[in-house]
Amino acid sequence: VELAWSDEDIEFRDEVRAFLRDRLTPELQQAGRLMTSVYSDHDASMAWQAILHERGWAAPSWPVEYGGCDWTLTQHYIFSRESTLAGAPNLSPMGIRMVAHALVAYGSGEQKEFFLPRILTGEVFFCQGYSEPEAGSDLAALTMAATDDGEHLVCTGSKIWTTHAREANWMFGLVRTSRAAKKQQGITFVLIEMDSPGIEIRPLVMTSGEEIQNQVFFDEVRVPKANVIGELDDGWTVAKYLLEFERGGGASSPALQVMAEHIASAAADQPGPDGGPLLDDPAFARKLADARIRTDVLEVLEHRVLSVLASGGHPGPASSMLKILSTELSQTLTELAMEAAGPRGRIYQPHAAYPGGPVAGYEPPPDGYVSGEPWQAVAPLRYFNDRAGSIYAGSNEIQRNILAKAALGL
Amino acid sequence: MDFDFTGEQDILRDGLNRFLATRYDLERSRTAVKTGAGWQPDVWKAFADELGILGAALPEDVGGIGGGPVETMVIAEALGYALVVEPYVDTAVVCAGLLHRAGGPRALELLERVVAGSAIVSLAATEAASGDHWQDVETTARRDGSDWVLTGSKILAIAAPFATHLLVTAATPSGLSLFLVDRSQSTAGLELHAYRTVDDRRAADLVINELRLPSDALLGGEGQAAASLETARDDGAAAVCAEAVGCMRRVLGDTVAYCKQRKQFGQPIGSFQALQHRMVDMHMELEQSVAAVYLAVFNANAEPATRALAVSAAKATIGRAARFIGQNAVQLHGGMGMTEELAIGHYFKRLTAVQFEFGSTDHHVARYARLTRR
Repeated sequence: VELAWSDEDIEFRDEVRAFLRDRLTPELQQAGRLMTSVYSDHDASMAWQAILHERGWAAPSWPVEYGGCDWTLTQHYIFSRESTLAGAPNLSPMGIRMVAHALVAYGSGEQKEFFLPRILTGEVFFCQGYSEPEAGSDLAALTMAATDDGEHLVCTGSKIWTTHAREANWMFGLVRTSRAAKKQQGITFVLIEMDSPGIEIRPLVMTSGEEIQNQVFFDEVRVPKANVIGELDDGWTVAKYLLEFERGGGASSPALQVMAEHIASAAADQPGPDGGPLLDDPAFARKLADARIRTDVLEVLEHRVLSVLASGGHPGPASSMLKILSTELSQTLTELAMEAAGPRGRIYQPHAAYPGGPVAGYEPPPDGYVSGEPWQAVAPLRYFNDRAGSIYAGSNEIQRNILAKAALGL
Repeated sequence: MDFDFTGEQDILRDGLNRFLATRYDLERSRTAVKTGAGWQPDVWKAFADELGILGAALPEDVGGIGGGPVETMVIAEALGYALVVEPYVDTAVVCAGLLHRAGGPRALELLERVVAGSAIVSLAATEAASGDHWQDVETTARRDGSDWVLTGSKILAIAAPFATHLLVTAATPSGLSLFLVDRSQSTAGLELHAYRTVDDRRAADLVINELRLPSDALLGGEGQAAASLETARDDGAAAVCAEAVGCMRRVLGDTVAYCKQRKQFGQPIGSFQALQHRMVDMHMELEQSVAAVYLAVFNANAEPATRALAVSAAKATIGRAARFIGQNAVQLHGGMGMTEELAIGHYFKRLTAVQFEFGSTDHHVARYARLTRR
């Protein structure tokens, strides 16, 4: 058991810092610091991915043979924390952090060869087609039909909550290829090209005004069987494997630490609820301290899961715990950011932020006026969008069900 | 204590609810704020002429119907249930109260126009550095001959972009003073930066640079505005509490209905005990909020310290409830709660703003602690 950093780790940290100093442009840094959700501005995110790819750092968690980095666990952590601290935009999680793992574990040689390098360059940009209007928490109840037509599957149905469907050129999704007694059977994991005839996309306007999520309609869309990952009818195995990556296995504590640090520095300059600076208000100071304590502890929990991953294991039900803890902690921090923003947290000014998608029905003021600081404009958008944390990737209620069963045997 | 309404109050509430149910459209009102005038003048006119709610809590000598805090509570709750964006609390409660207490021909003449629906008044009291402490004013007013000259800045003046008049607080040599700005007069030296709020109200920041006002722009005595402003803030807080109760009633009703109808795992999600308990907790938060509003209303005309204690208790309770009910309503609606496709998304945003209006939850807890400290 060892949490301290070695000389090599410090050297690596300095290397990462030097890279970030050289390559993270002020524009990209703004886009990273003023994100309104976990999704960065698409163009900024792709530009940053290209810069990282050039350095060989776009997908450090992949196996080295496919372009990953031969880093220790500590180095992964350092890279993630330094990037967040410097204000780097987030990369889209769908390709690098999700479907790529399915490809590595279940993909054929041709599939790996085609997709993995293109995911790295950004030439292939994935969205996820899991949820359906009647299959959310109960994902296995999905009904989007894929009928066998020789060389193709013909898909009809609809997917919802598809992040960046309009920006994506590929979707990884779950379709129903047969009806079995057990609803988890008969599901197939497929990759669908988004410009296939028969696909229609309807953007959904979120409470933040952003159009990040979409509903995608499929009308007899032909998908080559060569795009099935794993076995036909056995997609649930692939999906379950991936869900553990979606829910945990990443490290959210660095981002949460940075959020807490930003709140602390902002609160030092804001009026408190009872006079004096907000940071000196005992109630606020304790709430912030409590959130930071939870973050410190989460960090150790995340390291423990990462060490399991590093030794070739997979996270298992602990990923459910990390998902609950990190999303609920993030929500607490967005509440504190709203408190720090004060009356200005009520002003709607997305033009001062870097939204994760187009903003519906909004004209920015012609003179670009912003009331207060950009972080105050971000605070409400982030607060609204962050409510999704306890809903997406399996609601926190579902995660608690999983833990009750898998961790406690209830 | 009497929890029964009078016959007149029942008529007022039923008439207003009927009007809002049949003639107040959620989509149309959001569009008015997002891309239109910022409000619906025809609705406001109906408030004045058909329903008489703008003067319901004001005396008959200014055109009102002589009601009081109970009328305000009944009206605000109904408006909250329908998620009305027009500035009832800001203009007809807060500013009307300030005008009434200030007295004098200009204030009373304007008050009559407020009751008649022909004037919209916006209060500009919050400054960037003041936060919830309206008495910490950096905007100043100085005498120049018989005129007053104002310099400073304000943030988040609700309804200011379409208001006919502004009430602006400023420091004068002997204390805090209140000034009336008639926007139909020349307002050189006054710059408005208009925007909308997350809960779909129009508002503005004010940049005031040597704004020259006539001597009768001073409302009430010079340096005498602090007490009236404190009352206005308590009145506003109490009314917003009642409004929030209306919002929360609607949100809880929608959530329960959704959970009865939404099926996952072959059964309505409302049949899951974990969700039932959550909704019961929401129900209890709502019931406490209703009681907290009564607490504020019963003490609305008490001496200032008693009134302040009751209003802070109410606002702190409603702040906690609005957060809990709003967040859990979104959670139980799942992804749909995150969108503007259903009403819930709009109500959630209002319930977020409510927590910060007329003093944040923590501000009122701190004030309560201060007032009860021996």
